Amino acid sequence: MTSPASLRIIIMTEWLDDFLLRSIFAGLIMVTIAAPMGCLMVWQRLAFLSDTLGHAAILGVGVGLMLQLLPIVGVLAVALLIVFSLSRVSSFNSALSETTLAIISHTGLAGGIILVGLLPAGRVNLEAILFGDLLATTPADLLSLLLTTVLLLILLAYHWRDFVALSVSREIAQAEGIEVRKLQFLMYAMIALLVAVMMKVMGVLLIAAMLVIPTTSARLFSRSPEQMVAISALYGVGALAGGIASSFHFDWQTGPAIVVNATALLLITLGLTRLLKSGAA
Amino acid sequence: MRAEVLLRASDVSYSAGGRKILDKVSFELGTQQITTIIGPNGAGKSTLANIVTGLLTNFEGEIERRPQLRIGYLPQKVYVNTLMPLTVERLLQLTRRASEIDIDHALAQTEVTYLKRRQVRSLSEGELKRVLLARTTLGDPDLIVLDEPTSGVDVTGEIRMYELIGELRTQLQCAVLMVSHDLHLVMSQTDQVLCLNQHLCCSGLPESVSRDPEYLALFGKSAADSIAIYTHHHDHVHDVSGEPADHHHD
Repeated sequence: MTSPASLRIIIMTEWLDDFLLRSIFAGLIMVTIAAPMGCLMVWQRLAFLSDTLGHAAILGVGVGLMLQLLPIVGVLAVALLIVFSLSRVSSFNSALSETTLAIISHTGLAGGIILVGLLPAGRVNLEAILFGDLLATTPADLLSLLLTTVLLLILLAYHWRDFVALSVSREIAQAEGIEVRKLQFLMYAMIALLVAVMMKVMGVLLIAAMLVIPTTSARLFSRSPEQMVAISALYGVGALAGGIASSFHFDWQTGPAIVVNATALLLITLGLTRLLKSGAA
Repeated sequence: MRAEVLLRASDVSYSAGGRKILDKVSFELGTQQITTIIGPNGAGKSTLANIVTGLLTNFEGEIERRPQLRIGYLPQKVYVNTLMPLTVERLLQLTRRASEIDIDHALAQTEVTYLKRRQVRSLSEGELKRVLLARTTLGDPDLIVLDEPTSGVDVTGEIRMYELIGELRTQLQCAVLMVSHDLHLVMSQTDQVLCLNQHLCCSGLPESVSRDPEYLALFGKSAADSIAIYTHHHDHVHDVSGEPADHHHD
């Protein structure tokens, strides 16, 4: 795993282009899927669920490594298990209460850290799991990220009108023949997949940030759902570029650097919209 | 005058969680008729509306619909997400596309054409109700089912809303099935009242229902009086509406 300090040494090596391009490409793929998924999750107030699945993903990493599986397999298994258990509870919405999610979230985090601690030293870099490791993206990571994103984008394109309707009003969607429960379960399963792929880039603790912050910036001046998705993606690209740049220049960890840049963009946008409004008035 | 039957319910019963919610309810909805379901909380009014629209299917008894019956439905609690950027015209096309002409026509019918390009999150509750009512008229329905269409609307808005619903019936030539707790306000527009308390207590014209002993037992005399007052003196509606109906909850 690469730490920012060792970066400069790696830069000297001959595979510089390759690894940097890989990281940028991985980041762009993540931004592409984070924008539409993030918007849907913000609209449906599901950001907290992504946080829960993210925290519990550590448990998945631990289980995966214990069983000699790829960590991503463990993560996906745990995330799907949680989503499935939540959907079995008779009153689905109350199952998503803050308390329930907080218990799952922190138990998953605690259990995962214990498991990871039991592994032989050097088997796993806890920091990379928690905060992401974009600059160490391997070709295999890139491929799994790409395939999962393509799958999610196909599902989104196919169900987009229904997903938007469900976000606007569950009651209207249901009354007009949309199978709300099925669609909702699909959404949760898609979030589980999303968490598993975003974990590599953002780290389990910062996934929700990347889903929420660019979308919040975009919401300030969007007029339609699709416009909000497109503008979120632009903000995502901005945060990614700023994050990678500050990671190089200031030796910041990449995941946290992306988040800080996303928030900086949000604050600038907020300031500008205030200024424009007071100017117009 | 006998209207053509759009929908016939025969001995419809429904239970959920071991509790009987509807018990052998039978009625007919005729073309261009306005039917109002009244009854105390928990009487099964919304359940019945959901069975009529086809949302609930696991009931006993029989519902016969006229073939190709088109139903527009306004659910009781419509929580419209304010986190989303969404214009009124897009809200109208949420689950299916509609032409510009149809959208303009629908909005004009509930007198909210001026809201077409507004963001849904900037609407008042009354404006939103009218937009949602406009929504139910898209797709040229034969029957509109409205579950508490005026909840959250002030009294003046409420009266106008019922007038609009009456006008919709004439313009769209459709039947209306309405669930309401505003016993006195709906009456002047209604052709048929179904008084529901798990079973159908009584039904018929508003005046006859308001004199029915079962109705009086359920709602008390003051409610019955207020209906009589409203149907005979329309201009005194504000005095009357200030007086709450005397519900007996069980």
